[in-house]
Amino acid sequence: MRIGVYVCHCGINIASVVDVAAVRDYAKTLPDVVLAKDYQYMCSDPGQEMVREDIGEHQLDRVVIAACSPRMHEATFRKVMEKGGINAYYFEEANIREQCSWVHSDREVATEKAKELVAAAVARVHLQESLQEKEASVIPAALIIGGGIAGLTAAKDMAEAGFKVTLLERKPYLGGHVAKWTDTFPNMAKASEFLTPLMELVKTHENVEVLTSGELVDLEGFVGNYQAKVSLSPRYVDETACTRCGKCLEVCPVEVPDEETWGLMERKAIVLPPPPHDPDTAFIDASSCRHFTEEGCNACVSACPEGAISLEAQSEERIIDTGVIIVATGYNLFDPARKPELNYEKLPTVITGPQLERLLDENGPTKGKLVLNGESPKRITFIHCVGSRDHTVGNLYCSRVCCMFTAKQAMMIKGRYPDMRIRVCYMDMRTFCRGCEEFYNAVQGMGIYYTRGMVSEIFPKEGKPVVRFEDTFLEEMMEEPSDWVVLAVGMEPPEGTESLQNLLKLSRSADGFFLEAHPKLRPVDTDTDGIFLAGCCQGPRDIADTVSSAHAAASRASIPLFAGKVAIAPIVAEVDTEVCAGCALCEQVCVYGALKLDEMSKKMTVNEAVCKGCGACSATCPSSAIKLRNFKNHQLLAQIDALCVKSAEISG
Amino acid sequence: MRLEPAMKDVLVIGAGIAGIQASLDMADAGFTVHLVEKEPTIGGHMAQTDKVFPTLDCSSCILTPKMVSVGQHPNIRLYTLSEVTKIDGRAGDFTVEILRHPRYVDESACTGCGACAEACVMKGRIKNAFDMGIGKRGAIYIAFPQAVPLKYAIDPETCLTLSRGKCKKGPPCKLACDADAINFEDTEKTLTVHVGAIVVATGYDPFDPRLKPEYGYGKYPEVLTALEVERLCSASGPTLGEIVVNGKKPSKVFFIHCVGSRDHTVDNLYCSRVCCMFTAKQAHLVKDKVPEAKVTVTYIDIRAFGKGYEEFYERVQSEGIIYRRGVISEVFKKGDKLYVRGEDTFLGETYEEEADMVVLAAGLVQRKGLEVIEALGVQKGDDRFFCGPSPLDPVETGIEGVYLAGCCAGPKDIPDTVVQASGAASRAMTILSREEAA
Repeated sequence: MRIGVYVCHCGINIASVVDVAAVRDYAKTLPDVVLAKDYQYMCSDPGQEMVREDIGEHQLDRVVIAACSPRMHEATFRKVMEKGGINAYYFEEANIREQCSWVHSDREVATEKAKELVAAAVARVHLQESLQEKEASVIPAALIIGGGIAGLTAAKDMAEAGFKVTLLERKPYLGGHVAKWTDTFPNMAKASEFLTPLMELVKTHENVEVLTSGELVDLEGFVGNYQAKVSLSPRYVDETACTRCGKCLEVCPVEVPDEETWGLMERKAIVLPPPPHDPDTAFIDASSCRHFTEEGCNACVSACPEGAISLEAQSEERIIDTGVIIVATGYNLFDPARKPELNYEKLPTVITGPQLERLLDENGPTKGKLVLNGESPKRITFIHCVGSRDHTVGNLYCSRVCCMFTAKQAMMIKGRYPDMRIRVCYMDMRTFCRGCEEFYNAVQGMGIYYTRGMVSEIFPKEGKPVVRFEDTFLEEMMEEPSDWVVLAVGMEPPEGTESLQNLLKLSRSADGFFLEAHPKLRPVDTDTDGIFLAGCCQGPRDIADTVSSAHAAASRASIPLFAGKVAIAPIVAEVDTEVCAGCALCEQVCVYGALKLDEMSKKMTVNEAVCKGCGACSATCPSSAIKLRNFKNHQLLAQIDALCVKSAEISG
Repeated sequence: MRLEPAMKDVLVIGAGIAGIQASLDMADAGFTVHLVEKEPTIGGHMAQTDKVFPTLDCSSCILTPKMVSVGQHPNIRLYTLSEVTKIDGRAGDFTVEILRHPRYVDESACTGCGACAEACVMKGRIKNAFDMGIGKRGAIYIAFPQAVPLKYAIDPETCLTLSRGKCKKGPPCKLACDADAINFEDTEKTLTVHVGAIVVATGYDPFDPRLKPEYGYGKYPEVLTALEVERLCSASGPTLGEIVVNGKKPSKVFFIHCVGSRDHTVDNLYCSRVCCMFTAKQAHLVKDKVPEAKVTVTYIDIRAFGKGYEEFYERVQSEGIIYRRGVISEVFKKGDKLYVRGEDTFLGETYEEEADMVVLAAGLVQRKGLEVIEALGVQKGDDRFFCGPSPLDPVETGIEGVYLAGCCAGPKDIPDTVVQASGAASRAMTILSREEAA
């Protein structure tokens, strides 16, 4: 065996604490080490080139590089091995930066520790096995979960790039929250002017299939080859026959709070989604329909002149084969009832910003008039950060859109009702988006009172809400009698996040939103290969940033589809079938679902494409029948032994 | 309609993190990327950054693997010291002229050993722009040790051979170079590439605080810009990470937000979107390195809106850093002492306080010299950054085949830049994958 050892300075990152020359000289004394060098930056082009040349020139068959964490550059150096003509897995990286120079200051001790780490790496590299990467083919198709602006944008890009797209939406119609918005900040274009052409493009694109009233219920497979099981609920109304005449609504006896206005209005059990939702044909909400809840009611069926309604329809399940998945499940709005001091449930004219948005909509329930219970307001107070930046409700984060959403609504109202008295209570104005600071300046110029200060409560006085707040500039408690109070509610992860998290093996950040693979450089990737995040399911953002992230998710998801193949890492579990007793304890600890008991042989089998090489199975197996390649006991014990020997030398 | 296959090649202008990300996405998908960068190395402003918020990851530690990938990618043709001089055509079929400035060093021969820079008679005498002028270099140099490509370049303005025709008895750099890579006869070259789509990723310039003379930048050495502080904080920077201002450790540090942003007087009405957070990060780093220093941040509104940002802002406040709401009107000297004059809007009073380090959170402004892109028909907003027809889709320019990535389309932080860069790549790939040109 001929081992080459390289010690990296990492500029001064390592060299300022560790005596790299001493480590290099020590490495020369280790068994089978025929060459040891130190270099400024091993990861740089010349550093890599040096290793490649040495492999040929000195017939190296094993390499150890003492540098940073393998998380950083193990892949880089494995490529160098291949270029040099030896197996990429005849390599070991000793971490003398994160685990040595960055955490120690005593040069002498740190240098000794670096020597130990190098000795251990050399001991282990002796025993490394040569491994081969495998490739799997890729189904050139994408499943996109969520039919809001994010899912639609991603669907457009992937379809236009030539891939089959299945767009799965839980609701009976596409459009998401944006379909409920009126004018958009900062240039006050109608949301529908942006959304409608996009929905039209997506649903008529030859590469796209839209599945509404559908949910993901199971997922098998791995990047490039996923099988997604979706459950599709019936609409009970034939989409092609419904003319939106509304006769069914007239006869429906049910009245329940309307999701469209977050309960501000009521709806029937049979619903006509308002435009621009798509499709806008009627559907029946089975959870409130009396045919299903009390049985017997068929009023709508007989009222429909087209005979479009069938209450016999059944839900169905389908398997969708797909290479990649984009999660675009959006957000929920914070429920202000969780802040009882705001009296949202008790005072009928304390409403949320999104509810106000429906009242501002010319196609909405009041045709754009500000009317609640027959009364129009003269004084409106807006309150920022309801459910955001708030320890008391467990949401530390900023919801990113509420400042501008409020400013936009204030501007719309002031434009329509110039005499309206409008006060806005805020903490920090976060009008950071493009054109938004300019917008905020314009709003202030319209005679809207912006007051910096936290609201402590909303209390009733003669049936009207009064807002008590602190003006932090005047350092005084103030009371603002209002006709309406509008709560700028923040965003939270949507319902279903947890089940999706489990199905897709995703992680979530402390704020509850899905966690990206890297906060800076992999903001739409996840730790599950082939699954990507678009829009607010990763964290609150406005429409522009949502659209941007949806394009990004489409790009990242397209890469394996364009490439047509994915590499399968070889450091995975393997089963010694001679020893395996088929107890399946390992299956229980495998979070990736990579292990299955073969019913015939009663031995465990490993799906190598799904296995992440975490090692949980091998630690669990009572008979050591399942092992992780290149992390086998004898390899790890050799590494540990070497560490101990060196430590004994030092202390002895 | 011509039925020609759409070009499978793509042009990316600018090789900061936006251009790097867009290039890697498209190259990994199998398209050939022509990546044009005007500097001798790729990396852009992110390479100058010490640590990134809110994770406090070392910026170059996460960036350099990507830079190396660009340098080694079989599908990326990297043109450094180059600029795009002309673009003709339409989606699926653009003709692009690239001007390559001379490096005076043969890229294929240079091994990056650095013997030339050691020998250069100008060594340590020229302000290194990468270090914001705090560090010094010679006339032959690399901007920083992890430069990609790791090839030296000669700055013709300061090289004695190139500017005066003579350097000692024979240029010492040439004598020192074992690879015989130095070529003083190197000239400009023009080449033409054909591409199906274009991603514009030209980045930003920091606001020049000299335009706000009341802050005394350029007059008082204690007044620094944020980018200068990044270089001071960097362990591989010119001070090896020591905070040294005007020759000594500071004890009273003031950070001033919104310098050149949200400011009518300099015609920048917009918010620069990143300064609140990089200031919070720098305040943390300075406090960490000089714990005995009193660190004050003066602000108008704190805009900590990204994932984990509000939490980071709370952490910084808990570290004993003082946040005072209100603008600083002036930085001035009384005797040999430096003072800031400001208003505390909570206390409703003005104050004067001594400071020995003042950091200006200079905003982001559009670059100059983008005429080629404007000639394509790409529009600019009132803020002078590039824009498309709808603010709701920041990737689009309104010109099919031309897409925007990163800060050239308005200030944004690294994650939002990376997102938009991948987004621009996505749109470009819908053109590149077409069967025919539009």
